Amino acid sequence: MIAALPQLRRVSKRATQVFITLFGLLLLTFFIGRVMPLDPVLAIVGPDADHATYQQVYHQLGFDKPLWAQFGIYLNGLLHGDLGHALLTGQPVSQDILRVFPATLELATLAIVIGAGLGVPLGVIAAARRNGAIDYAVRVVSLAGYSTPIFWGGMIGLLLFYAHLGWVGGAGRVDFSLDGVVPRRSGLMLVDALLAGNATVFWNALNHLILPASLLGFHSLAYISRMTRSFMLAQLSQEFILTARVKGLTEWQVIWQHAFRNILVQLLTVVALAYGSLLEGAVLIETVFSWPGFGSYLTSSLMLGDMNAVMGCVLVVGLIFVLLNLLSDLLYQVFDPRTKV
Amino acid sequence: MTIRIRCGAWLATLLLLTGSASLQANTPDDQLIVGMNMNNLLTLDPAAMTGNEVVGIVVNLYDGLLELDPQQLTRVRPALAESWHISPDNSTLTFRLRDGVRFHSGNALTSADAVWSMRRVLHLNLAQASVWKSYGFTKANVDQTIAAPDARTLTIRLPKPNDPHLVLYSLAALGSMVVLDSKTVQAHAVNNDWGNRWLTTHEAGSGPFRLDGWQAKDVLTMSRAPDYWRGAAKMQRVVFRHLQESQTLRLMMEKGDLDIASNMAIPDVRALRNDPDLSIDSVQRGTLYYLAMSMKDPHFANPKVREALRYLVDYQGINKTLMAGYGVLHQRPIQAGMPATLPDPGYRLDMARARTLLAEAGYPDGFDTTLRVLADQPFLNVAIAIQSTLMQAGIRARIITGTGNQIYGAMRDRQFGLLVGRGGSGVEPHPHSSLRSLVYNPDNADSARLTNFQGWRTSFYDAQLNSMIDRALTERDPAKQQQAYFAIQQRYDQLIPALMPISQMVDSVVVNNRVQAYQPHPSATTFLRDVWKTPERLAGGTP
Repeated sequence: MIAALPQLRRVSKRATQVFITLFGLLLLTFFIGRVMPLDPVLAIVGPDADHATYQQVYHQLGFDKPLWAQFGIYLNGLLHGDLGHALLTGQPVSQDILRVFPATLELATLAIVIGAGLGVPLGVIAAARRNGAIDYAVRVVSLAGYSTPIFWGGMIGLLLFYAHLGWVGGAGRVDFSLDGVVPRRSGLMLVDALLAGNATVFWNALNHLILPASLLGFHSLAYISRMTRSFMLAQLSQEFILTARVKGLTEWQVIWQHAFRNILVQLLTVVALAYGSLLEGAVLIETVFSWPGFGSYLTSSLMLGDMNAVMGCVLVVGLIFVLLNLLSDLLYQVFDPRTKV
Repeated sequence: MTIRIRCGAWLATLLLLTGSASLQANTPDDQLIVGMNMNNLLTLDPAAMTGNEVVGIVVNLYDGLLELDPQQLTRVRPALAESWHISPDNSTLTFRLRDGVRFHSGNALTSADAVWSMRRVLHLNLAQASVWKSYGFTKANVDQTIAAPDARTLTIRLPKPNDPHLVLYSLAALGSMVVLDSKTVQAHAVNNDWGNRWLTTHEAGSGPFRLDGWQAKDVLTMSRAPDYWRGAAKMQRVVFRHLQESQTLRLMMEKGDLDIASNMAIPDVRALRNDPDLSIDSVQRGTLYYLAMSMKDPHFANPKVREALRYLVDYQGINKTLMAGYGVLHQRPIQAGMPATLPDPGYRLDMARARTLLAEAGYPDGFDTTLRVLADQPFLNVAIAIQSTLMQAGIRARIITGTGNQIYGAMRDRQFGLLVGRGGSGVEPHPHSSLRSLVYNPDNADSARLTNFQGWRTSFYDAQLNSMIDRALTERDPAKQQQAYFAIQQRYDQLIPALMPISQMVDSVVVNNRVQAYQPHPSATTFLRDVWKTPERLAGGTP
């Protein structure tokens, strides 16, 4: 019982931090949203509506109440599990998020697999061959990936791989004629196609997914490989590396078993942050590829001044980062035994 | 397995995946795939809809009493109403409804549904109520003015003098008075909302297509109603896809993955002009592009300044170079092509005359002002062109860009100097449609808040003009009515208005040549029930 107390204290401290962070986020978003020069009422009633109609909708949306009262009503709903209704769709925000988030999850997950799967080995190899041809090549690739506007990359990718070569599908998650062919279960198109046993939709969905995921992955790869390289260079200049080499270990063992293991913890943070950013919404890629994802939903809601939807999204983004932080902390303990103490 | 082998395997898999399943098929023969920007599609409720895109969807899910012939707009065609009658005193319209029509739910369609649907528009008082309120209908009187004496008869008594033909056009063109399945909608009503929330994403119509589903900013699908009273639609399914990027639309049209693309940027439309598989259908709408001035601003309250501005716009240059594909030169407040529309007055850029007028107005060195404009084409280019010619006369107009609701929001609040915009209804083929929206201003007081009238927004008020518009509307002799509209345009011109039309809107739609019988409608009520596609392997196929 007494042994469990510090653990309990740690958990409650973390929970308080999470609560304060999320509350702060909501408060800030709400008030910034209200001072933005956007008028959701006009979006609903149209620019030609008369004043009576405008006032009626203004009142229905509760905009005639003081700001603190509006925020209080929102918080009250939130505590009852109600994120409100979105203006954009007329649906409960929670339902909307459950609909759009899997599309982004699918895209971001494949992207991070590509980004980390290629970025980490490339960064390690570049560090091991410092100032060699491979190092320069990796640095050029990283620089290109990092500095190429993702929007432009998306258009060129579509032009080349979709329009000219015909290797991949165009915009959307599947060919338009296959929309709605498999029933929605998880919201992840690949999983739903597999669950429905529909190979056509599965391959078609993969075909649509591969290009935007590769482009996003390339962008993450640039960041991850550069960070990996610099972490590895720091490790390779350490004395224990010299010792390992003196002991007669192969270069492979020195790099992968000694140096690389030591950067795992830092690397986890980098990959988790990159994944978090992707989940937060790859807005531009989602726009170019008409990907009905989270980033696209958040941006549209923001442009409309639809604060229920924006705050719901902010809450989700906050939770994503909290969860990723927790996951990193847990994995730290796996990779770095010192943190268990 | 070593790391190298694992990396190699991963790369090989990625390449395989990239190249796999890459066969691109044309769209299926029995499906119509439409790509468009669906950002403005916020609801499918006919009483609450705003914008042209949703009207084009709603008219395929529901039926109205009447329709306008897309090739001859003033020709009213029967739809749910098989006949109609105007009372001798022009005060009552009586419709005889078709027998045997059923909603998608299976419920029989009666005149009680039509009455309920019309009352619903006024009781909800949302976006589509505006026009009907301007005809004198209110929440208070709608239950008395619209009635169903029997299951197949509907009567509409006009609350105030009006041209009954205009009312017929509104019924046919607006899409707001389509007939809803009152039983189904009422079953989904919550908190006395007349089913508004439910109808945002559902339908309760009798149209040629039934809604399969709509996911905002993603996809809307509808499939044909097999028992449609006109006979089943030719297409099994219609899919509307949200594609925000014009260049993506263009690529997908080129690849044959879309049958129809609308809302494309004109440079992309032009790029497809020479594609042998595609056609460009342009349709002229009644909406006008204009330069508006606020007469609350002392500069523009001065008629000499307004007149100077009349000569500071390069109408011909703008229409030739910037508006190609977006609009055609037009300088009257009534849409072109109607018998009542006068020929353009022929205003041109005339710097010397403008400078003289400015000097006479007391501004020989010009003045500073603001020019609000949507951050979108062609508005922005037009604003830049106008800014440049204003500058030559010494008027320093600072451009302020924004979204639609920021720009028109400022106009509704009468908080602007100059503004390049688009508006003017023009949906109905009747001069009053544009005049009501652009010119008419029955009360110029700030407190009147007549935000739906652009005359009020610009503070342009002339009692005589208002009365001329009222009289012309109720004139029963067509020849005299035409003369009355000529006189209104002449007076408008003489008064040097605060809103100067520059161009009349043109909408361009790119259509794959496999698509047959697609007729874009000038009122945005494009019917898809007769559209069919040449089968992929058969040239010149039949439906």
